[in-house]
Amino acid sequence: MKSIFALATITFKEGIRNRSLFGIALLALFLFGLNITVAGFFMRDIGKVTVDMNLSALSFAGLLLVFFVGVNLMAKDIDRKTIHLVLSKPISRAQYIWGKFFGIQLFVTVSLLLLLVLSSLTVLLLLQMYPAYFVGFSWSIFYIAAFFILVKFSVLAAIVVFFSSITSSSLITLIFSLSSYVAGVTIEEVVFYLQSEFAVQEKIISESLKIFIDIVSYIIPNFTVFDFTLEAAHGLAIAGNRIFLSLGYGTIYISILLMLASFIFARREFN
Amino acid sequence: MRRYVPIVILVVVLAVYGLFYQGVWDSREQVRSNTPAGYIIPSKFSRILALGNQGLLSDFLFLKAATFIGGRSSSGSLLNEEDWQYVIRSLDVVTDLDPYFADPYVLAEGLLAWDAGKPEAANQLLIKGMKYRTSDWRLPFFAGFNNFYFLKNYEVASGFIMTASQLSGSPAYLATLGARLAYYGGKSKTALLFLQQMLADTDDVLLIKRLQMRLQALERAVLIEDALEQFKNQEKRLPNELSELVTAGYLITLPLDPYGGKWGILKNGRVFSTSKFANASQKKPTKKESSSQ
Repeated sequence: MKSIFALATITFKEGIRNRSLFGIALLALFLFGLNITVAGFFMRDIGKVTVDMNLSALSFAGLLLVFFVGVNLMAKDIDRKTIHLVLSKPISRAQYIWGKFFGIQLFVTVSLLLLLVLSSLTVLLLLQMYPAYFVGFSWSIFYIAAFFILVKFSVLAAIVVFFSSITSSSLITLIFSLSSYVAGVTIEEVVFYLQSEFAVQEKIISESLKIFIDIVSYIIPNFTVFDFTLEAAHGLAIAGNRIFLSLGYGTIYISILLMLASFIFARREFN
Repeated sequence: MRRYVPIVILVVVLAVYGLFYQGVWDSREQVRSNTPAGYIIPSKFSRILALGNQGLLSDFLFLKAATFIGGRSSSGSLLNEEDWQYVIRSLDVVTDLDPYFADPYVLAEGLLAWDAGKPEAANQLLIKGMKYRTSDWRLPFFAGFNNFYFLKNYEVASGFIMTASQLSGSPAYLATLGARLAYYGGKSKTALLFLQQMLADTDDVLLIKRLQMRLQALERAVLIEDALEQFKNQEKRLPNELSELVTAGYLITLPLDPYGGKWGILKNGRVFSTSKFANASQKKPTKKESSSQ
């Protein structure tokens, strides 16, 4: 446990030192600024537009954090061969994987928290500017949605760790993780489309395709589970069991991926 | 001397860039005002393409549709049927992506019903919105207004207004208005009440301008109708022409129709304008329409 913690701290520090962090922070700042400008273009649902833009900005920044900094953090050890040095310490390969994951997780959490503070200030400012157009806005639902953005990127971080444990090329990790992300945010639409009446009428959709999609839906994480933007945008109440299910789904998925990653990583040879 | 060569070249290139910049933007402006509205990706696909940012995409598409209309109306060119179809489809996609979004419904009411003369299309959107924005009184209010004002479906209108009046936040007079509608549908005064409410509830500059013009026209129509009423009570007959109201002293002058039409009087004593309160070039009044008032 201690060594996992130590590795996580080192990984976190390494992440914070990464210069692309400034770029991502600048981008997020730009998006928040854009939000303040654009909000005035809308007639009445300014609260909804603000929440949409803020959560999407957080989500986009999180995506960049995981893909550029996270992938880098995982690949660096293998690329620069410092992995030999790390593994020569009394630390198992499984501990290495978990330590790396918690490091990235901590890094993403802290970065997103900082951005969330900025985002809250943006929302607060717009709330002061257009108090009449924030009907139904609720801070608690907004923060729940923001929290689930973090959960979403924890899952994505686990995917990055998983692919890094298989391949030594950071580009391949990036491509695989990006593909998983795109598939993950769209899989729900595809599954529900195939179940809908439209699909039944279209006779071209073969039975084997349906089975294939069914299998894929088990393997790929459904990222829409963590999407509460609509609820936050309109202040709609979120049922408690949805929060419980989403959180449980995310946690279990991360654990499985990390266990698989540890298993593969333990059997891997470095040259 | 050599040292200055790159700087000189840079200055020349920058100047050329300036020329091209101007040329490109000018040509884009022309292209945009001439091109047909274009294609909007059906929501079935854009839901997926949004990659989890459906809300943001709906904001963007809404803004695009609004800018499209704004651009056309500021350049003075009128929207043709194809353009309106684009707007209708856009708003449909926007409300598919986020059915709780209030702005597209408000825009649908302001533009589709008023400018495009497509109250049915507006109503379709409004009815879709009512399923989601269940506590928003404005949507049934708009649907009621369209049925009353454009479709002349007073009973349906009264039903919608009654629904609106039961929702929280709705103005108190809606209940009376709903009841009033059921009895005397087609009066300009009822329309005036409606319009004042619409105006109080809007902050879109373009729409406000249009509503104000309409309000002005209606106020003048009401003025004439009031004078006509007095004339009828006193003289026990209808004037042959509206100018008779002025010569008999019921009106100081016959007010101008802000839409540039001419006031007329129907056999049943209703006042109408040849402009039908639409910009003359947009649509011409047909006989059937004016007699149905």
